Amino acid sequence: MLLLVDILLSGLILGGMYALTATGLTLQYGVARILDLAYGEVLVAAAFMAYVLFTGAAVVPLVGLVIVLPLAFAANWVIYRVMLVPLVRRARNRAALETDSILATFGLLFVLQGIAFVIFGGQYYGYSYLSAPISLFGATVAVNRLVALGFAAVLAVGLYLALTRTRTGTAIRAVAVDPDAARLVAIDVTAVAGLAFATGGALCAAGGVLVSMFLTFSAGMGVLFTMKALIVVIMGGVGNLLGALAAGLLLGLIETAVARLVDPGLTLAATYALFLTVLLVRPTGLFGRPAR
Amino acid sequence: MSTLARLWSGFLVGATLAVLAAVAAFGSDYHVALAIAVLSYVVLATAWALFSGPTGYVSLATVAFFGIGAYTVAVLGEVLPWPVVLLVAALVGLVVALVVGLSTLRLSGIYFVVFSFGLAELIRQLVTWYEVNVTRSVGRYVFLDVTQAGIFWQLFALAVLVFLVGWLIRRSRLGLALQVIGEDETVARHCGIDTTRAKLTLFAVSSVFITVTGAVMAPRWTYIDPAIAFNPLVSFQVVVMALLGGAGVLYGPLLGAVPLVLLFDLIGAHFPNHFSILLGLVFIVVVYGLPRGVAGLIRHGTTSPSPGGGGSLAAGQRGGVKPRMPEPLSPPPAELRSATSPLQGEVKKETPLLDIIDLGKSFGGVRAVDGLTFSVPRGSIVGLIGPNGSGKTTALNLISGLITPRSGEIRFAGAPITGLRSDRIVHRGIARTFQLVRVLDDLSCAENVMAAVAFRAHPLWGEKARHQAAALLTRVGLGGRDDVTAQNLTYIDSKRLELARALALDPQLLLLDEWLAGLNPTELLDGIALIASLNRDGLTIVMVEHVMDAIRSLCDRCIVMNTGRKIADGVTADVLADPEVVRAYLGGADAGD
Repeated sequence: MLLLVDILLSGLILGGMYALTATGLTLQYGVARILDLAYGEVLVAAAFMAYVLFTGAAVVPLVGLVIVLPLAFAANWVIYRVMLVPLVRRARNRAALETDSILATFGLLFVLQGIAFVIFGGQYYGYSYLSAPISLFGATVAVNRLVALGFAAVLAVGLYLALTRTRTGTAIRAVAVDPDAARLVAIDVTAVAGLAFATGGALCAAGGVLVSMFLTFSAGMGVLFTMKALIVVIMGGVGNLLGALAAGLLLGLIETAVARLVDPGLTLAATYALFLTVLLVRPTGLFGRPAR
Repeated sequence: MSTLARLWSGFLVGATLAVLAAVAAFGSDYHVALAIAVLSYVVLATAWALFSGPTGYVSLATVAFFGIGAYTVAVLGEVLPWPVVLLVAALVGLVVALVVGLSTLRLSGIYFVVFSFGLAELIRQLVTWYEVNVTRSVGRYVFLDVTQAGIFWQLFALAVLVFLVGWLIRRSRLGLALQVIGEDETVARHCGIDTTRAKLTLFAVSSVFITVTGAVMAPRWTYIDPAIAFNPLVSFQVVVMALLGGAGVLYGPLLGAVPLVLLFDLIGAHFPNHFSILLGLVFIVVVYGLPRGVAGLIRHGTTSPSPGGGGSLAAGQRGGVKPRMPEPLSPPPAELRSATSPLQGEVKKETPLLDIIDLGKSFGGVRAVDGLTFSVPRGSIVGLIGPNGSGKTTALNLISGLITPRSGEIRFAGAPITGLRSDRIVHRGIARTFQLVRVLDDLSCAENVMAAVAFRAHPLWGEKARHQAAALLTRVGLGGRDDVTAQNLTYIDSKRLELARALALDPQLLLLDEWLAGLNPTELLDGIALIASLNRDGLTIVMVEHVMDAIRSLCDRCIVMNTGRKIADGVTADVLADPEVVRAYLGGADAGD
């Protein structure tokens, strides 16, 4: 019983992080039509920034968010304008853009990862912040995990409201559905796509800062986060925010359950097996609309 | 030009292999090791491009197969004789490729990329877990009596083989099939290509080469563990090498692999810490600066290598039908009728060529086609008309197998074809054109048509196919344009080309989806005359059309659809005067969207 509560709680917290990071990716891929394979590197970069701010300047991570998020937003916007817009311009069709953007962001992935290696080396980093344990429904959790989950929830709700209640949010959703039609109603698709890409990057960085509070991380871990975010995005259905949320929580629960009940060494295998199965059985995602 | 290109590529491959062989024979140990590295990536990148080049499927599963090969050696190397080990590795690679291919090749674009990457990681995780928990040691030692030179010459043989196989495939029907698939898979199926089988074959061939390379390379590391054998970097490097060189041509990957292996070796030796950054920069430079690779620069934008010419692997397969050179269309079937004789009143004792019975298809809540029933007698031209959104194109899509019906039956020449794949339906004798013209942009006009000639029920290949393609192009008014790339055609000419491709399938029934739309008055008259002449030659035609002049002059009979249902069916003049039809067109209460 205690084990069950423990798995549920840990699984939900982990899943919440996955959901938050996947939300950013689904925003990028669903709206800007760019699959950013360097996504995880941005997350790791944010984690390192939080680490440096905390250990170097004693800025607590939650305040660090205020610094990291705008930075990530700006950096991703620049990446979109400088690196990706030329690809969008030259692409003959969506498939060509996808292949091009995958290859270009592969390059970016290696560059960012390489820079992180040069600065931080290959070892794992972590810091202790709000790590006092508290008891919840009989299970023990560290405060920082709960705080992270709370922040993730706030960010997710904020994003949801912004997308559904504001003019800009509506424009973003319009571009996600059909860029050509959006252009016809005087939406500046390139600008909106850039905004979505940058917002996605900022959410990703938020995930990085929050994760850094309770997980150890290293320069080489980016790909892992990218893969997990991708898995969640595809499972939830591309561009589907609620789908990403549900799929993220599901993935967190399954990973925790496999780690506790079966064998920690099989966690990743379970993740990939689950993912490959979803791709084969429902390539449009668990909640995605069937392909036209 | 193309002979020159062929000579040049042969020279390039031969010279590279000769230089490597000379280095291996006379160089120092370091040089031999470098030659092995270069050669192994040449084989890997060339094998990768065999499949991914023409189809555009970016596979990151290279290291999965490479690692499988290496692990086969680690497990069996000391138990079985070496040739048997290689054979087992090839077989394991083949089986895995077939299983993976069958289940994944329907995924496209990003899904395939991510899947292939996930596959490699999954295999790595499983092998690691197995080694840790079952054999209780992560690594294995490979003590085999294979020298550096031995490895080199095995790789050399493999390289010769991969180029030979690649060359043969490019000359074969399979090579053309893959190019067509890479451009437009739907069109490929409507040319009669069994796309799954074509992709699977190539994926398997490519994967076996990669697996055997892994096996041959294994003795180089005396110790291997999953992190070494399944290092994802291998997959990425292979991709960037193939793309740098140009994955579209056989010798392209070689142009990328040789300089990059040398560069990576240099970087690894002098800037080990900056390896990743430099790899990334190379990637970015390739994507932005050389989208078609070095080979693309050399070839000055000339497109795909010309397939065909002479006999080939596949040419004789079905004992190709005798070429009907001057008149490429099939001779009129049973009853030939002149286009002017009215159908009305003819007793339909014979089985109609096409019989649609209570056909239904919904998209979400929309009943696109609802209880549609009609039949098309041999030799007739039937017009399928109705307002936009009334389900005409959906009906054609159901007949051509692009989508499967939810209910009802489609019979062609008396036999059910409901739910068959498009390529099967094409082989029964139904060809079509698309509402939004779909020609294969990067192929020449002749190749566009040859794709259909080479994969119809009674295929031709080589010179015969080329001649027939030329004759068909002449027939539709594109005579002499054989070598023009399809993307350079005007709108009307691309429509002609699409029609030629459909005719090349030697169909009994031709489905035209607004083939006359968007033509100017002169072109329209030409088009109408062309359709009438096809019909005179015995072709049965169903045409979806909005151009009423064409309907009036061509169709003896018309079927009118509205909101998925048939609302009128009969002699064209009567149907067009029907009040319900007029209401549907002019926007009555229940007119379509």
